[in-house]
Amino acid sequence: MTFKSKLGGALLAAVMSTTALQGAFAADDTIKIGVLHSLSGTMAISETTLKDVMLMLVAEQNKKGGVLGKKLEAVVVDPASDWPLFAEKARQLISKDKVAAVFGCWTSSSRKSVLPVFEELNSILFYPVQYEGEESSRNIFYTGAAPNQQAIPAVDYLAKEEGVKRWVLAGTDYVYPQTTNKILKAYLMSKGVAESDIMVNYTPFGHSDWQTIVSDIKKFGSAGKKTAVVSTINGDANVPFYKELGNQGIKAEDIPVVAFSVGEEELAGLDTKPLVGHLAAWNYFQSVDADVNAEFIKEWHAFTKNDKRVTNDPMEAAYIGFNAWVKAVEAAGTTNTDAVLDSIIGVSVPNLSGGTSTVMPNHHITKPVLIGEIQADGQFDIVQETAPVVGDEWSDYLPDSKNLISDWRKPMSCGNFNVASGKCGGKGS
Amino acid sequence: MISGFVFRALEGRIVAAVGILLAIGILVPALNLLTPADSAIHIPTYAMSLFGKYLCYALLALALDLVWGYCGILSLGHGAFFALGGYAMGMYLMRQIGSRGVYGNPILPDFMVFLNWKELPWFWHGFDWFVFAMVMVLVVPGLLAFVFGWFAFRSRVNGVYLSIITQAMTYALLLAFFRNDMGFGGNNGLTDFKDILGFSVQADGTRAVLFFMSALMLSLCLILASAIVRSKFGKVLVGVRDAESRVRFLGFRVENIKLFTFVVSAMMAGIAGALFVPQVGIINPGEFAPANSIEVVVWTAVGGRGTLIGPIIGAILVNGGKSFFTGAFPEIWLFALGALFICVTLFLPRGIVGTIQHGFRSRKAYKAAAEAEKGRDAQPSVAQAAE
Amino acid sequence: MTSKVPFRVLQSLGLLLCLMFSFAAPSFAQQTDPRPMIDALSKADFGEAEKLIGQLAATGDARLVPALNAFSEGDLYFRKSDNLVFIGKAAGSNYELIDPVTGASAGQAAKNAVTKIKINNSLRRVIRSAMGGLTLLSPDRGVRLQAADAVLRSPSAENLELLETAISKEADREVKARMEEARAVSLLSSDRSIDEKRAAIATIKNYGGRNAIGILMGASASLDPSLKADVDAAIASIESGQRLWDIGQNVWYGVSLGSVLLLAAIGLAITFGVMGIINMAHGEMVMLGAYSTFVVQQLIRDNAPGLFDWSLAIALPVAFLVTGAVGFVIERGVIRFLYGRPLETLLATWGVSLILQQTIRSIFGPTNQEVGNPSWMSGSFPVGGMTITWNRMWIIAFSLSIFVALLVVMKKSSFGLNMRAVTQNRRMASSMGIKTPWVDAFTFALGSGIAGIAGVALSQIDNVSPNLGQSYIIDSFMVVVFGGVGNLWGTLVGALSLGVLNKFLEPSVGAVLGKILVLVLIILFIQKRPRGLFALKGRAVEA
Repeated sequence: MTFKSKLGGALLAAVMSTTALQGAFAADDTIKIGVLHSLSGTMAISETTLKDVMLMLVAEQNKKGGVLGKKLEAVVVDPASDWPLFAEKARQLISKDKVAAVFGCWTSSSRKSVLPVFEELNSILFYPVQYEGEESSRNIFYTGAAPNQQAIPAVDYLAKEEGVKRWVLAGTDYVYPQTTNKILKAYLMSKGVAESDIMVNYTPFGHSDWQTIVSDIKKFGSAGKKTAVVSTINGDANVPFYKELGNQGIKAEDIPVVAFSVGEEELAGLDTKPLVGHLAAWNYFQSVDADVNAEFIKEWHAFTKNDKRVTNDPMEAAYIGFNAWVKAVEAAGTTNTDAVLDSIIGVSVPNLSGGTSTVMPNHHITKPVLIGEIQADGQFDIVQETAPVVGDEWSDYLPDSKNLISDWRKPMSCGNFNVASGKCGGKGS
Repeated sequence: MISGFVFRALEGRIVAAVGILLAIGILVPALNLLTPADSAIHIPTYAMSLFGKYLCYALLALALDLVWGYCGILSLGHGAFFALGGYAMGMYLMRQIGSRGVYGNPILPDFMVFLNWKELPWFWHGFDWFVFAMVMVLVVPGLLAFVFGWFAFRSRVNGVYLSIITQAMTYALLLAFFRNDMGFGGNNGLTDFKDILGFSVQADGTRAVLFFMSALMLSLCLILASAIVRSKFGKVLVGVRDAESRVRFLGFRVENIKLFTFVVSAMMAGIAGALFVPQVGIINPGEFAPANSIEVVVWTAVGGRGTLIGPIIGAILVNGGKSFFTGAFPEIWLFALGALFICVTLFLPRGIVGTIQHGFRSRKAYKAAAEAEKGRDAQPSVAQAAE
Repeated sequence: MTSKVPFRVLQSLGLLLCLMFSFAAPSFAQQTDPRPMIDALSKADFGEAEKLIGQLAATGDARLVPALNAFSEGDLYFRKSDNLVFIGKAAGSNYELIDPVTGASAGQAAKNAVTKIKINNSLRRVIRSAMGGLTLLSPDRGVRLQAADAVLRSPSAENLELLETAISKEADREVKARMEEARAVSLLSSDRSIDEKRAAIATIKNYGGRNAIGILMGASASLDPSLKADVDAAIASIESGQRLWDIGQNVWYGVSLGSVLLLAAIGLAITFGVMGIINMAHGEMVMLGAYSTFVVQQLIRDNAPGLFDWSLAIALPVAFLVTGAVGFVIERGVIRFLYGRPLETLLATWGVSLILQQTIRSIFGPTNQEVGNPSWMSGSFPVGGMTITWNRMWIIAFSLSIFVALLVVMKKSSFGLNMRAVTQNRRMASSMGIKTPWVDAFTFALGSGIAGIAGVALSQIDNVSPNLGQSYIIDSFMVVVFGGVGNLWGTLVGALSLGVLNKFLEPSVGAVLGKILVLVLIILFIQKRPRGLFALKGRAVEA
């Protein structure tokens, strides 16, 4: 009878030895970078594109001769939209594949899951998606927008250009919308909007029946004041939401919707004619009129062999992150984590909207905020572009974080320095 | 009496399995800690924590086998008990962070601070105390299983209906834990743990101990499960599985038998979750996803249900395969996984261990048995689904 | 006498002339060429553009309507070389330029030789109002109705006189009523007398509906305090009338959600309910149906764009055949070895679902695909104080007709008879000469095919992505189990009651908690009635 158990033991040993062996194949003449995006599961819909962008950027860089005279090699893994698996794969990339840096994650949950791994193993993660802020890690660079680089300028635009007085904050019930809406509510109230003129509404992930909520929005909007919807509705739920809006006849001229998670990629699954005029706020749109953007789009189409593939904001964030890393590595002359962490601060690289983005000491970057209106062809028409804004990791509108700043330069090297108490570590006291 | 209970459990196969598990539990951490990193026999921390995770999954599969393989209750909600155990552990670990959180709030976890919570919700109290948290790891899943089973088994909900409502249970919990207002960190869950009982969760030593604990708990639960199924109670249990009405007519309180097994199984799942969380460093509502619970069923089926050892092997094999494929062939791993499920159900209906067991019998006898089984079930009424 | 008649005729003729002149007056009075104003748009920012549109509207020149329309559609461009503004129509890689005033062609220009004139929502609003004013006197009834609507939606006191003239000339009752409403709304923001405003409030009150409340609430702040009581009374009266409609609306939403659940579950009611297969690949059949629709629409778009409104009708049989065939293959290849082992069908079909998902992901990519709504599925129409959207209405009708069709197949056709015979007593049926394996295969194919046509309908309201099926699978099982396995009527009642329940919980507890409560209620309900709402009775069940 013990034979079966032995068989089991042998199989275990086999699994473990294969995992151990693979590390031995690392070649010395390449620099490896990790790509940690879900290729299956619910997030594959958004993240697969970013994997393709990373592969393209690596290929382009290798054409230019690589980095430090070595070729780059992308190690792609699939964390399958499973958050603990993100941590496992991050650990594998860093300690087994010995990658110099990792580009990846989409949801905050996945980033939170890998954060301890990056801090423990002292590696670098470039996170390319807009997020709720309230985090600063020595080992993570946030090249997506913080709330002040997306949400607040969008609200300002609506209040100024459209004269909006009444606000619906609609979001999917998770941390990004909750935090963003808390910040927005505090911000709006600081601008004199009454609490009764703000309606907050949360829906579950993948919500598909929007009839009641859209009619609630309509009801809320019929109070005689100009009303707008600020949508932090997550990816998949947007398509049925916009379809319902269109069908119930809510036009952008009556109640405009400004979204923070709807880009070209999401619109590609929609007939956008009924949506013309609804807005989105990002740091990049495919329709940006800049030579560098035109070139990027051309490369992207050539790389994917599909000239219908759209580009979007997280792709730009990945582009900036990758180029900043390359520049920092070349400045440091090594891929050593500590050296790169030192050299990357202050690095400026071109962004795709025609300007430059600089990596700030708080590991966020500067970028302009663009407000775009949806067009019938699924693209955005840019109606406003601000000067570059520095990402603010600790919101000024939340009571517990308004005194915090982050500065990873020596000698401070602190992610949560309290300016009131003058100490590092949150409250400080 | 108790020694007899335990002694019965230690049938040769189980002894060997426990021996191997404990050997792994000691050897792997030892190789990780004591050998230099460039040595051929060194086991990297990465592999150790990965394998520790498999051991937790194995414990979960074992728990499912107890109710499915021996009691005929196919729970599609065992992931919920696992996750609840994990959350109980996660809450303890959150409270251990203390003022090292990013806002330096000594009481409130970070996610409560930035969502403007003013005080700790009542259900978080006590979790700063390790013993209390460990009791909760058992009590919370156990209590849920008790309440759920109390109603379900008394109303004689069984078969597919039971499976579907266990799925409804874990789905409802998934939605509930996703809500930020619940006070469990919403979809981000609980993360950024610092230490456990004063030891850093990142340290290799702590990981080694956690790994050993996983192997140890798996061994203990295996012995317990084996003792249960080999006791008189276990015989009745199998009776309930095979002919529930007959057992009831013989005077046994079937609902109590089921309830007891269900609660024990849920507690084991809770332990698995509690060991899982510090090793992977995060617990979030994704663990409640119905798909996860179905995967547990698959591990058990692959290894062989009703064999106790089979599910352990199944869990380790499938997850090992998953880790390998998602790294080596990310594009095709779902094909491989899907094909595995189909092949196992078609060609290895008894699972790996079950097939090997039956391999000793003559092929003819096996075929005859299969025919008989087919004939008996020729009326595919839904009520038989529990089998 | 004789001299009087011509005088009268002359008099009325004169009056008519006067009237006509007064209509035409603005355009005659400012016989300025609008072209420079339009060209000024090329350099204007949003604020200046708003003023320019106001000036253009003031000319009253109806020739400007196409230009304004093009502007609001984002089709107005200026030529970089000379800053002249044209209407642009995409023609290959170039733009066909059209003179904005005369409508004459002005040749072509390369895409980079022209720049689009920026437009935003507030400009679109101004244009809508301006166009409303310019087209109120159009000979076309439809255009006048649209114009009245436009003025109603963006009222301005400047349109008031124009409206009054239009009303006096209007013969069509519906258009006239709309214009009266528009006049009342515009009047509130004008400097007319309090009595006139009071009358306007009464008109708006009769108009009713949510919009009326909005208009009154919006105007109440700027109105004379003596009118406040009137406004409040009007709002209260509209709201009390609206309350009943709101309940009706909620029931409608519930029924509509229920019909979606019914669509998703009805195929499962066959494969799971009748055959006893725990078919985890059911959701993927729905997804395959949705992708069939996508492929059909792609083909139509490329080859016969005129047929687009028929795309769904064409997709229905395609989806049925495709998913039915896939179902047939699955049954023959996998499930037939597993009869009598329902829980193993769960594992095998779960494997099948993973493979199908990944196949679709490999072929079409992981992103959403665009499935268009034919024109008859878009928009909405009012029923009293309710808004009924066309797509929801068709989906309700569609799901009910599938239900009826299925019922007929099951109860009236010989295939249905065979199917029931096989599921009730396989051996007996087999002894009677029924080819049970084929009946199994076709029953499974039927269930899958129906899931496929459900996918055609769901493609109209949801994402078409590889994950589509997963979002429906759990709900489908809940519906079938709640309704009672093996009973189609149970599925119908189950789906509708869960839909309505959900919609009545949603406003008070929110969407998330509402869904959780429904699940808990199902769990509790199953304790009370372990075999669902409509339990099958008899020995076979108790086996």
